[in-house]
Amino acid sequence: MTRKFAGVAVALALALAACGSDPAAAPQEGAGSGAATIEIGSLYEPQNLDNTAGGGQGVTETFNGNVYEGLYRLTDAGQVENLLAESEKVSDDGLTYTFELRQGVTFHSGKALTAADVKHSIERVSAEDSQSARKSQLQVIKSVTAPDEHTVVVKLSSRSISLLYNLSYVWIVNADVKDLTTGEDGTGPYKLGSWKRGSTLSLEPFPGYWGPKPANGGVVFHYFTEATALNNALITGAVDVVTSEQSPDALAQFTGNPDYKVAEGHSTTKLLLAFNDRKAPFDKPLVRKAVSSAIDDAKLLESIWAGHGSLIGSMVPPTDPWYEDLTKVNPYDVELAKKQLAEAGYAGGFRFTLDTPNYDPHPTVATFVKSELAKVGITVDINVITADEWYSKVFKKRDFAATLQEHVNDRDVVWYGNPDFYWGYDNKQVTGWVEQAERAKTAEEQTELLKKANRQIAEDAASDWLYLYPQIVVASSKLSGYPVNGLNSQFYAYGIKKG
Amino acid sequence: MRGLGSKGLAAGCVLVGVVLGVAVVSLVWLPYDPADTSGGRLVPPGGEHLLGTDKLGRDLLTQLMIGARIALVAGGGSVLLGGVLGVLAGLAAGFATRWLDDALAAALDALIAFPTLLLAMLVVAVRQASLGSAVLAIGLAMSAVVARLTRILVKRVLAQDYITAARTSGSSWPRIIAEHVLPNIWPTLLVNLALQLGLAVLAEASLSYLGLGPPPPNASWGRLLHEAQATVLTAPVGAIAPGVLLVVLVVGVNLVADGLRDLAPGRSR
Repeated sequence: MTRKFAGVAVALALALAACGSDPAAAPQEGAGSGAATIEIGSLYEPQNLDNTAGGGQGVTETFNGNVYEGLYRLTDAGQVENLLAESEKVSDDGLTYTFELRQGVTFHSGKALTAADVKHSIERVSAEDSQSARKSQLQVIKSVTAPDEHTVVVKLSSRSISLLYNLSYVWIVNADVKDLTTGEDGTGPYKLGSWKRGSTLSLEPFPGYWGPKPANGGVVFHYFTEATALNNALITGAVDVVTSEQSPDALAQFTGNPDYKVAEGHSTTKLLLAFNDRKAPFDKPLVRKAVSSAIDDAKLLESIWAGHGSLIGSMVPPTDPWYEDLTKVNPYDVELAKKQLAEAGYAGGFRFTLDTPNYDPHPTVATFVKSELAKVGITVDINVITADEWYSKVFKKRDFAATLQEHVNDRDVVWYGNPDFYWGYDNKQVTGWVEQAERAKTAEEQTELLKKANRQIAEDAASDWLYLYPQIVVASSKLSGYPVNGLNSQFYAYGIKKG
Repeated sequence: MRGLGSKGLAAGCVLVGVVLGVAVVSLVWLPYDPADTSGGRLVPPGGEHLLGTDKLGRDLLTQLMIGARIALVAGGGSVLLGGVLGVLAGLAAGFATRWLDDALAAALDALIAFPTLLLAMLVVAVRQASLGSAVLAIGLAMSAVVARLTRILVKRVLAQDYITAARTSGSSWPRIIAEHVLPNIWPTLLVNLALQLGLAVLAEASLSYLGLGPPPPNASWGRLLHEAQATVLTAPVGAIAPGVLLVVLVVGVNLVADGLRDLAPGRSR
């Protein structure tokens, strides 16, 4: 059963400040231990192996940077650095990018990387049937051409300050391979060993890799559907590291134990109570504000995460450059909520159905929301649905009143600039600011505009941003070199050493 | 368990009675409002909250009492549905002959081969996850078991000479069913239905544990178990209490079934 919704969860990522991916490692004890296989425990098995075909968060965690590489790489510290693109030139009007590709790069199949592969790879993400969450951000690309083997020219319809950042999510794949849902052909340091569905996925070092060899002898991702089983696997030594702890209560067994290290980094995963802003009663900002003010987010966060995580008050997490604290815009205030409801014409409250994904923490959160809203006269009917149903009913058909969902991507406030997104928030000003921000000439200009957009969506309570998840990685203390900001989706494995 | 006799029956009645009592009391009195989240996170047992609170700060005892109600409604509802459908289908199959009998028997076997949980997932996929869906799914699965048993019992009765005698003396089939068949098969059926009640309670808990039972905030014991799973190390009562209650109810129901079997005419030794 899938956790976190695939389409939105897709590219996730990070942008986190803080530590790089190579904390001072314990001295290597000879080649033998350095070549050990790393056993990684995760709750996020890929749906399939293609990130443009609904592979979900799992395939990003497993493959991003490990099996596939982009023209650019987003580091664990949130920096964009060159990877398969050795250099780039930007025209004065900002509309033409010329990328020089790294030479001597081969795919796992043995074929050499060419500009034609890059062209194909970019186009498959923006293709009509692509399910990539980055698809809309790449719409700005007018054409991709390959004037020679190692040069790619990208022409834009308007300036795009995030282009390089967005390209870090575009996997460069072999253009000759048609179906990537069950196999792979990337250029990364690992190739796919075997995938036993419902159980494990192994990656083996690729001997022909152009860069430095992985610090380990391969990695195996072990997939669990249940956090307790995953933690037990760590205790028994069946896995060396858990990519993302999802319950604070399990931490008690690891903190203070010298055999384990607990790292709390930053996440970009926001839990949203997303309204359908197209339909009554949530088409009225006042109603949405009232609901936001009626729910005690701090208490909810304490209930679910027991002191971990943080409140954000809007869509932007502290690690995005355009963050500001907006928790005061719709404060927890039951009296205010009642007043706003009355003003909006719902003094007697109303009733709505909350579509709730069937996996944790959503059912518990839904229970809390129901109990909070009852205090202002709003009756909530909880409708539990699977992740697949969520995708078809809520995301595709927009057949919902309100829903709960985790949004894992960083820099995703821009979705409020898209009136066609599933929540249907349509504010011309915000759409304009998001568009202008993308065309900005400087990062400062972009930041200013997105701050404005972020403030406006909070003013309109476009959604209710309940809280921001913590990012907690627990590992055997023998392990080093793993990403701690692993920002949910990507988990670079090549630096991990055991011993 | 055979041989416990009336002591077993009495013990079973007490266990079931406790759960039934709790469920009845929950209709008129609860320690706290089930939606009250003011208790604090995972407060240990004792003090204001006899069994402590859950993650959201809700009183655990309150949740458990509501859970007793849900368990009994799910169990009873499933047995009612499964019993009525099963006995009707079983009677029909019992009276059928040749190919129709073969076909019905094969259909029942096929239905029995279908795991209850899988059937329940299908039902939930078509309808919404709810107590009604759970009862429907469990009842349907149960009806096949009951129908098969009924069919065999009916066949056995129909082979008796007094049925032939009744037929030749002009009794109608409905009359034969009412006067000869049902009185002869009900003791065995009753024992079986009692056993099915225990299985139905467990099935509902399994469904709720998987998130396919009545949606939150309904405090089914299975859901409480699921929610307490992540906090089993820090707040074990949350996981132990619903488990103990499930055991009490299921063991109680089984003891009752066992006692009934010993009392059934022709079965006592």
